[in-house]
Amino acid sequence: MSKKNKAIRDVFGEVLVKFAKKNKKIFAISPDLKSATKLSIFKKEIPERFIETGIAEANAIGIASGLAMSGLKPVVASFGSFLSGKNIEIRVSIGFNNAPAILVGTHGGLIGPDGPTQAGLQDISVMRSIPNIKIFQPASPIETAAILYHCIKLKVPSYIRISRQANKEIYNKNYKFVEGKPYIVKNDMKDGVIFTSGNMVERCLDASNLLKNMYKIGVVNIPSIKPLNKSKILKIISKTKRLFSVEDHSINGGLGSAMLEIISKYNIKKPFCLHGLNDFTQSGEVEELYKYYNLDGSGIAKFLRKNI
Amino acid sequence: MSKKLVIQNNNCLKIRSLLIKSLYNAGSGHPGSSLSLIEILYYIYRNEKNFKLILSKGHGVPGQYAVMRFFKELDNKNFNNLRKINSKAQGHPDKRNFKKIDASTGALGQGLSIAIGYAMAKEYLKKKGYVYCVLGDGELQEGQIWESLMFLNSNYLKKLIIIVDYNKFQNEDLISKTLPMPMIEEKWKSFGFKVFRTNGHNLNNLDKTINKVKKTKKPSVIIADTIKGKGISFMENSGHWHSAKITRNFYLKALEELNVKKK
Repeated sequence: MSKKNKAIRDVFGEVLVKFAKKNKKIFAISPDLKSATKLSIFKKEIPERFIETGIAEANAIGIASGLAMSGLKPVVASFGSFLSGKNIEIRVSIGFNNAPAILVGTHGGLIGPDGPTQAGLQDISVMRSIPNIKIFQPASPIETAAILYHCIKLKVPSYIRISRQANKEIYNKNYKFVEGKPYIVKNDMKDGVIFTSGNMVERCLDASNLLKNMYKIGVVNIPSIKPLNKSKILKIISKTKRLFSVEDHSINGGLGSAMLEIISKYNIKKPFCLHGLNDFTQSGEVEELYKYYNLDGSGIAKFLRKNI
Repeated sequence: MSKKLVIQNNNCLKIRSLLIKSLYNAGSGHPGSSLSLIEILYYIYRNEKNFKLILSKGHGVPGQYAVMRFFKELDNKNFNNLRKINSKAQGHPDKRNFKKIDASTGALGQGLSIAIGYAMAKEYLKKKGYVYCVLGDGELQEGQIWESLMFLNSNYLKKLIIIVDYNKFQNEDLISKTLPMPMIEEKWKSFGFKVFRTNGHNLNNLDKTINKVKKTKKPSVIIADTIKGKGISFMENSGHWHSAKITRNFYLKALEELNVKKK
């Protein structure tokens, strides 16, 4: 297992080009920001299928809809905050038309000195409310490639949320992405289990390790936020006493809310606590911010201890 | 007037009566906005093959349904259940229900971007036929339209034909009394477009203009002067008939004007 950290957006940019060299239906659409979203690699390698719309996300989304409905596979990449901000365009042009485009929202979570306007902090909530659109979030380089490959094959629209940070590889070559499946990354869950996703998986593992002498807390990675395989979630829930969700996203409408929808539907009588963001955040260094909002390993451990 | 044109104009009258009947059955809808685009849509359906049509001003869809009904592309049952529950003929274009509706629209401003995507795909995949985008004039107030024009300025698409249904009205009033949009031609020109102005109710003029656009090797737009509510005197140039229920009296009066005997 490689421990080398690699930024998810770099992996996205490189892997997309690799797939697009084989699959001539793939187009990249960039509403500016190509060096930040790493579509710059696509522009350099496959300029004939690279579309620059300028700072015009709505138009980018509409063009993607028309291409997708013509049988091509457009990938629009911009900051998750800017893309999901175009709610009505995604809702109608992509969602209602069921246009199988891929929307990639980069800079999900706490992103650093650029501050909350540029950070995807409510994007999952917005996208989750729109029918037809599937939502994924990779936690590692291998998972990023697997999710992108999956979305290219989909006949429905998808949203992929990727973080700005470098993430450790937690999987190996044998990893197989299955839509809807929750992945147990730490199985020892006698005292509780954390449901998390993306960039937060690593941090939750840190938290679980910090508490290992006191509690056995399992960690489950949810790369497929919508759809979510309910029976597999219920099976995990049956093995533990307490449930937690941790996300670098608003707790209103995010992963925790998705879990709550399952818990309330199946009348689960186990304590469930959500941890995430409640407000617009602020500028600061990335790790400083994760610490400030109690979303680093020790902050998450503090949250867990408080609720056990 | 040639015999052919007389027949075609008569067909548009028949389409208008179909439209009025469906809107009367529906008890709501957008008569004025539908009546202004009948000739434009009739021209496309009658003359084009392998075309894509994005009705960006989705509220005009009863006009499209009436044209589709005339060309037997929509069955009578669904046509007569316009805007009713479980009918294929929904209040705004719904791609789920028809293979030949190329985009679901209704939230204004989005259709041109979708049409750009279709036109790029047609070129890339070397497919035959044109992509038509019919815009409302009030719709031009949406910012996304101008994002699209900026894009087209530097990306000429030979398969794309844009027609503005320039009926001078928006939701309940004149554009000039809502948010005036002076110098409409100059606006398009400044975005690098060649502007063709034509009478949107004259099939000969439409034919000539559309053929000119096909031969013009730069971004072009047809601003088609139309009359909101065209063909029914009391609906013409009326803000009220943008969206209104057609009562029985008005229905009979409209049919009388269209000179179609009620069965």
